[in-house]
Amino acid sequence: MKKETVSIRTKETTARIRNTAVEAVRTKDIVKKAVRVYDEGKLGIGGSIGDVEESVWEKQAKDNLEAGIEYPYPLETGTDHRDYNANPMDAQTMLKHTERILKTLRDEFPEFTFSESVTIRETTTTMRNSEGLDLSYHDGRFELGFILKEKKSANLFDGFVAFEGRKFDPERFWAFNRKYLAAYNNPVDFPKGDKLPVFTLGGPETKRFLMRALNGENYATNSSLFSGKIGERLFHEKLTLEQNRNPKETHQAFFDNEGVRNENDRVALIENGVLKKPFTDKETAERYNLPHTGGASGAYDGVPSLRTAPLRFKTDSEDIKKTLKGEPAILVVVSSGGDFTAEGTYAAPVQLAFLFDGENILGKLDEFTMRSSLFAMYGEDYIGTFKSDELYLGDDVQLQGFYMDIKR
Amino acid sequence: MFEFPKNLYTDVRIEEAHTTKIAYKNKTIQEEKIRRNKGAFVRVFDGERWYYSSTTDVDRLQEKIDELASMANPKEGLEDHPIVKAFETNQDKILQYEETDVSKVPAHKKRELMEEYLSLLDVEGIAHHKSFYVDNRIVKSFYSSKGAAVTFDKQTCGIRMDMDVVFGKKKDQVGVSRGAVHFEELAGLQEYFQTEIDKNLDYVKNAEPVEAGTYPVLLSPTATGVFTHESFGHKSESDFMVGDETMAKEWKLGKRIGQKHLNIVDDGNVRGNGYVPYDDEGTKGKKTRIITDGELTGRLHSTLTAALMEEGLTGNARAVDFEYEPIVRMSTTYIEKGDTPLDEMIANVRNGVFIDTIKHGSGMSTFTLAPARAYKIEDGNITTPINVSVVTGNVFETLALVDNLSEEFDLLSFVGGGCGKMEQFPLPVGFGGPYTLVRELKVE
Repeated sequence: MKKETVSIRTKETTARIRNTAVEAVRTKDIVKKAVRVYDEGKLGIGGSIGDVEESVWEKQAKDNLEAGIEYPYPLETGTDHRDYNANPMDAQTMLKHTERILKTLRDEFPEFTFSESVTIRETTTTMRNSEGLDLSYHDGRFELGFILKEKKSANLFDGFVAFEGRKFDPERFWAFNRKYLAAYNNPVDFPKGDKLPVFTLGGPETKRFLMRALNGENYATNSSLFSGKIGERLFHEKLTLEQNRNPKETHQAFFDNEGVRNENDRVALIENGVLKKPFTDKETAERYNLPHTGGASGAYDGVPSLRTAPLRFKTDSEDIKKTLKGEPAILVVVSSGGDFTAEGTYAAPVQLAFLFDGENILGKLDEFTMRSSLFAMYGEDYIGTFKSDELYLGDDVQLQGFYMDIKR
Repeated sequence: MFEFPKNLYTDVRIEEAHTTKIAYKNKTIQEEKIRRNKGAFVRVFDGERWYYSSTTDVDRLQEKIDELASMANPKEGLEDHPIVKAFETNQDKILQYEETDVSKVPAHKKRELMEEYLSLLDVEGIAHHKSFYVDNRIVKSFYSSKGAAVTFDKQTCGIRMDMDVVFGKKKDQVGVSRGAVHFEELAGLQEYFQTEIDKNLDYVKNAEPVEAGTYPVLLSPTATGVFTHESFGHKSESDFMVGDETMAKEWKLGKRIGQKHLNIVDDGNVRGNGYVPYDDEGTKGKKTRIITDGELTGRLHSTLTAALMEEGLTGNARAVDFEYEPIVRMSTTYIEKGDTPLDEMIANVRNGVFIDTIKHGSGMSTFTLAPARAYKIEDGNITTPINVSVVTGNVFETLALVDNLSEEFDLLSFVGGGCGKMEQFPLPVGFGGPYTLVRELKVE
């Protein structure tokens, strides 16, 4: 009988903010552990939250073998220990930053209120097995997420101030956010035209739709929009979409739920616009004779399965301002509730957007609806995926630009 | 039980959750997860600031209390602080699911039930499917330094089947689910599942792109539930209003929000996902009339918001689990039924859209509904299935456009997913209502 353990330890301190003041301080120290046992092609799992003796979960896992869950695949081996933030920010420093930021917001931006949280989170994820696998990933993050409300507004909230990263640079934070918050008070007209360059920070509905289309099982059973199109050009020739487990860019473990690692932590699924492969776990790769990408997901105590994959576009363009050649653009900050139809038509209301010259946020636009389709957005109407250093929102933030139909 | 520190308010919430998930990929079992988790959340309040700690180490809660107390500044007379004064001090024990505890149903019975329904998916057009059975029974205990001592249980169970449907170039992912409180209620649902599967297949096979525009929209009870939750429910959560003069003016009690026939209720006593006999601050669950005869008559509160706004407690302080503090959340929120037969409502629509099922919704200044199944209404009949990306409306205007409500009425619980509010997702909530005719919404 082979054995594998998975553990995730999360320690965090959060300052809860209400009306631009600290209302509460919350600490967490949560351990989640699971034991997997493999016997005669079957898998059993036991686990729970809390630091319980491993033998308890091992018994649970052995009992779980009776469910008959098939897992006839070889286990991973090898050692890889990585620490992406050996000296994460401590709670006192976080609280000092928080109080200073809130004071500046109260003093300089009294027309707004800010609520929600600032958090420091330290996570250690390990996976080990009796075949010699020994993986560990440690990281620490500073996360600031405020909902912003204009005092004169009757909306629940009117926007966000956010930052997520390993280090926090107050000077850069204020250099960006002073300009960003000033733009709220500067209503501007839309640029002329019904089809305009729109930049987004990566809409979740787009990733969700692509994830469904690039799921290996959907691909193999003809239920993906991309089925049968490996080798075909789908999108603009400069567009590359990867399954990316590089913690520097995606802030998550560098191995999948089966302990699989990729060369350079990434696999191109769409390269230069051409569909290369869907993402797969071991079962899907074997069952449908597809390349195995290490795309298994699942809960710490769940059976590895093919559901979500960490998709990230490769940065393919530089200098938005130069690319725009003076053409005014729209920067979408809040677009909530939009979606794609099954065939790829896209529509989304935009609750908050700014006029943008590629470098500076110039003023606030009224709400509008943007429309396109998946193939237009990433095909003829694709502008590019840019790394944004000007918008100090976090480590490795990307901005993606498309020409979109705008309905005011 | 605990030694509460002097001159501070302290409460402790302990949660013991038993959960089951049995998942299938096509007809093969993929996962059988049976878990018993225990954790606790401790709060200390010194009149100025709150100190929270969540832990899985429930044997050392006194240490956690003392640790938080050492960070706080005790104040004499804290018992007269308006927030501290407002806390209820209920002492109660309601363990009503001990006899019908879903966790005691053997796993093989749950598998057998699922496998019975999986055979319904052996039909042309379903390329592959993933399905699961889930249940959970939670026993919560709440103790406070004011003397509250409450223990209660709640449970839900449900089945969900997600299928990828392919008819030539027409492809979509659709689902069917049913939630319940007792395991036995999930038996004998072949006809319900069969009907829903047939509707899904017909929808994918025949759906046409919608012509974008503004239409009268008829919402099913499911869609009405999401619409109510997103278009108005979040606006009734009073933590958004505390210390905000504009919001207080905009949402002043007595303000006319809708037409005379519009009544919206939040009720923590309804069994199912939104069942809150006591909230996570030990406040007894209540029925709150948020809109009565079209006028704003109430809003949802935690103890903090109720005290600050000088209104009564409503029992809506809820946390997604023991890792989080309670914040103001809905329980079961619904529009009360009207008196028009559904057939009559449909017959009066010349050119509209019927939203049958929903993928997701959201609610800021513009609320959104992303339909899973939608249909044209033409000359008084529901006709062609249509592909719709999103339906939108303005939260400040749309409730006034609710023109008609059916006498048919249904309350439901989602299986999987739930309500999200900032970091706390997914919180189980109940929702539903009658069929609702909205005069105009944007359909894209």
